[in-house]
Amino acid sequence: MSTGNPMVRFDRVSKRYPGGKEALSGVSFELDRGEFAFLTGHSGAGKSTLLKLMMQMEHPSRGQVFVDGLNLGKLRAGQVPYLRRKIGVVFQNHQLLFDRSVYDNIALPLQIAGYTPAEAGRRVRAALDSVGLLGMEKRNPIELSGGEQQRVGIARAVVNKPPLLLADEPTGNLDPELSAEIMNLFMRFQQVGVTVLIATHDIALVERLGHRRLILDHGQLHEDALIAGGQYV
Amino acid sequence: MSDNRQPKTAATGASLQSVDTRKQLSAWAANHQLVAVETLIRLLANPLGSLLTWMVIAIALTLPGALWMALDNMEQLSGRFQESGRITLYLLPGTEVEQAQQLERRIQTLDSVSSTELIDADMALDDFRANSGLQAALEFLPENPLPSVILVEPPLGVSQQQLSVLVGKLQNYQLVDSVQLDMAWVERLLAMLALAERLIWVLGLLLALAILLVVGNTIRLAIAARVDEIRVVKLVGGTNAWVRRPFLYTGLWYGMVGGLLAWLMLIICWLLLNGPVSNLADLYGSGFELKPLSATAALSLLLSAMLLGWLGAWWSVSRHLDQIEP
Ligand SMILES: Nc1ncnc2c1ncn2[C@@H]1O[C@H](COP(=O)(O)OP(=O)(O)OP(=O)(O)O)[C@@H](O)[C@H]1O
Ligand SMILES: [Mg+2]
Repeated sequence: MSTGNPMVRFDRVSKRYPGGKEALSGVSFELDRGEFAFLTGHSGAGKSTLLKLMMQMEHPSRGQVFVDGLNLGKLRAGQVPYLRRKIGVVFQNHQLLFDRSVYDNIALPLQIAGYTPAEAGRRVRAALDSVGLLGMEKRNPIELSGGEQQRVGIARAVVNKPPLLLADEPTGNLDPELSAEIMNLFMRFQQVGVTVLIATHDIALVERLGHRRLILDHGQLHEDALIAGGQYV
Repeated sequence: MSDNRQPKTAATGASLQSVDTRKQLSAWAANHQLVAVETLIRLLANPLGSLLTWMVIAIALTLPGALWMALDNMEQLSGRFQESGRITLYLLPGTEVEQAQQLERRIQTLDSVSSTELIDADMALDDFRANSGLQAALEFLPENPLPSVILVEPPLGVSQQQLSVLVGKLQNYQLVDSVQLDMAWVERLLAMLALAERLIWVLGLLLALAILLVVGNTIRLAIAARVDEIRVVKLVGGTNAWVRRPFLYTGLWYGMVGGLLAWLMLIICWLLLNGPVSNLADLYGSGFELKPLSATAALSLLLSAMLLGWLGAWWSVSRHLDQIEP
């Protein structure tokens, strides 16, 4: 099952927020390269915390986190941006910038990574195409619907072709049809080799899609082995 | 050309740089250019918003600039006065005329001496008798109370330093009782100018601090207005240098515009004062003219303004930017 070089590895990771209770306790798991998994659990179970640890937005109190072979505990502050360039993230509150066009929003990670405008243009259009928003690049994201904004956020997350894609409640307040559409989008990225981890409340959708499930319960991880696809038994 | 790389699914090791270095370097230069132009346009597009900061910088620079200009002119003026320096040597009482003449000849051979004149004690007494009207009283004196005097004229344009070397030498002659430099007041003036220069430096430093604070505060507000953008940029892998860059350039441009305004104000000061000053100089028969700020001085004013703007921005950015995390 494991290639020995997983995309993500958590080794007995605990996280206690200052003055708070333990948000994660002794969490261990691996995500293989190209794997697709859901992260579920009640509100406050620690899903967002787990994703933030991979982004170095939070730091574990105990244990070690590895992303793409990098021990995040040993990363210097100056290396964190380069880690983040390997990870596409989608949040529920899509974090778009309303002072610039859809195009400029999506091009931002490319500018930062030092792509030429021509190269960036090609990639932005490819990303827009993959989320079905081609032709909207000149619009301001504020003019778009919630689902369209969410897709702009996804386009920005994948435009740099990161090997790892994280999503935190990406279908939070979308209707079931749109949710299914967006999940399909994520599965298409998996098909081209991206490792995908999606935190969601939408149990019905998760069960229907049938992928690996990581279940958090009060900070403890219970891996669900009973998957429709039958890959992980 | 782009190779539209697929996501790396194979083992990639622990390398974090993905785009090759040469590309990154030219992208870096291109980004500098872009940010420089963008921030300048952003500032110029909203001049009213930046006007206050520009004016504060300009005034804070004009004040020491004007004082410095005045000082420069005073030094020029004192240089002219120096041309009229003259040294009076009082010889010891009882010095023989031959001794005094011998001394005078030795002095004539010294550097920085253009002419000398000996007034021996008898001549001095004759003069005094003729001019003072105290003839009767002087008859009662047993001997001549006046010393012999040698007047020493240094050449035109001798420097202050050469002059004091000369005075030192003259003081060391055994026959010399005391040396009086008619330049003493010029020296005092120069000392005062040196003091004024020191004061201008102190004032300049205080005002430089004020510029740092003003630019720092302006940048702090700019950062606060762009917190969302900074969060997103950091989230998608923007380095601290990338995040800092637009603010540093903004500080630089604030300094530049402020410096240019200060330059303009100094030129206006000069235009306003030049006429009256040369009128005054004419009345005193002097060819004195108010010098404007030299090009070097103006350029260093501009450069230090830009440096101060940049430093103020740096100070503000390093205080506030690290606290903004996604
Ligand atoms: N910045 C923080 N400071 C203190 N406690 C925090 C912080 N962030 C989260 N927590 C706590 O950590 C626990 C886990 O939070 P987390 O956001 O990871 O949960 P979640 O599973 O994402 O919940 P939800 O489904 O509601 O988004 C919660 O009890 C929460 O109160
Ligand atoms: Mg959450």
